[in-house]
Amino acid sequence: MKFDPTNPTPPKVTRRIGMDQVPDHVPHDLIRQSGIIYGPEFLADPYKFFPAMHDRFPPIFYDVTPFGNAWVLTKHEDALFALRHAEYFSTEDATPFPRNPEDYFNFIPIEFDPPDHRKYRNIVDPYISPKAVLGWEDRIRNLANELIDDFIDQGECDFPEQFGRPLPVLVFLDLMGLPRDMCDTFVEWSVDLLHSNDREVMAATMAKITEYLQGQIAEKEANPDDGLVSKIVHAKIDDRPISAKEKFGFVIFLFIAGLDTVFATLNNIWNYLAENPDKCQEIIDDPDNINAQVEELLRVFSVTFSGRTVKQDIELRGVQMKKGDKVTSILPACNYDPDVFPDPTKVDFHRPKKIILAFTVGVHSCMGAHLARLEVKIALQEWLKRIPRFKAKPGTQVEYKMGGVIGPHELPLVW
Amino acid sequence: MPKVTYVSHTGESQSADIENGDSVMRGALDNGVEGIVAECGGGLACATCHCYVDDAWADQAGTPTSQDERDMLEMTASDTRPTSRLSCQIELTDDLDGLVVHLPEAQY
Repeated sequence: MKFDPTNPTPPKVTRRIGMDQVPDHVPHDLIRQSGIIYGPEFLADPYKFFPAMHDRFPPIFYDVTPFGNAWVLTKHEDALFALRHAEYFSTEDATPFPRNPEDYFNFIPIEFDPPDHRKYRNIVDPYISPKAVLGWEDRIRNLANELIDDFIDQGECDFPEQFGRPLPVLVFLDLMGLPRDMCDTFVEWSVDLLHSNDREVMAATMAKITEYLQGQIAEKEANPDDGLVSKIVHAKIDDRPISAKEKFGFVIFLFIAGLDTVFATLNNIWNYLAENPDKCQEIIDDPDNINAQVEELLRVFSVTFSGRTVKQDIELRGVQMKKGDKVTSILPACNYDPDVFPDPTKVDFHRPKKIILAFTVGVHSCMGAHLARLEVKIALQEWLKRIPRFKAKPGTQVEYKMGGVIGPHELPLVW
Repeated sequence: MPKVTYVSHTGESQSADIENGDSVMRGALDNGVEGIVAECGGGLACATCHCYVDDAWADQAGTPTSQDERDMLEMTASDTRPTSRLSCQIELTDDLDGLVVHLPEAQY
């Protein structure tokens, strides 16, 4: 039966959790319990853990975890291959948020493969292309400065709360055409959804988000505006109007994808810069190199992972993977692959340009990448113009919490 | 609107009228031209929209416009040639009406 995007049904999936559920084709010597995202060693400093993976683990291993067992890829080359070959590595059931099987929807566009995928991307591309996001530059710059105005004279700030979080969330709300006064609520929802690791809390949060977004979809259907939600709900796929299921799957996916990643990235970068004033000075002294500076910081502080489901049996680097196996590309580890980035932990703003995996690659490469790069660039430029020297408040112990997006949760800064 | 002709690696041609200001990459995606992947969407970050500008257009469009483009051209899957470009970096103007680009066998 042909797949109907307007009325999807849940895929049949095999979830394997824990040591009891390691399939027979997995060689014993490739089984590990790495503790990625939850182990004490990981949480002590993820950005020491990621580069060390190349010494401590085989390049591909089978990671047994309480959240679901999966093959783990840490080589840049292997991740490029997996992310670019949807015929072997599918995005089906790779987005781990609870959905009601009785009222199932697809996350769009990530769960559609070419050629259908392009029909959905064409709806949003005019809003998020490199050129289109430049239209947002002045607004983002003003916003960054307004946020800084609120705390600069105090000589200190709670970075995540007062800058790292509101900057990308407010930009996102503006882009989507949603009211700015939802900022705090969106923050709360994204924390509950992405960092609770409790399926009940996640499901309850999904229900709240669903209700709100369905209301917004109805509102934009009645009163079109220039925002992305309105653009989506009035779109056509081929020659038919986009369906209710598609509208919702698209809007909620943007919500999930758009809220937490730039936030975590900014927290990581400011945590690093607070300890490395020489790097702040280098950025200030070499303004023409800002794009390379941003790219290098995105390389060393990539914040997330990319999951796939094996669609047909395949051998990769001598490892047999079977249909139904889960695969996770550890993007932050791939970006420290010494075969591609010599002396990988060194932050070098003059590295030869290479493909970095912060935003993955392949047709499902992050559609917000250009906006994310612009936000990081503007945040660096405007902050360093006004606060060129800063450090962590004395006594600060940087802590990381469990979750699929990696960044410090507390970062009080002083200057 | 400038017309661009895309020639596949097996020699088939497909032409498309593309808005001024859009890129040769964008025109390929909007018109279903196979052979341009453009996975990063024009961010000079993936090298999967590689094309060879036809020799007749080499003077107008055959030279990379930035160091980033030159760097990324070192990462293409197919061999580069003297008129290799990333098609996301060729912005269309009336002067490029009639442009012909050849597509490589593979983008990755």
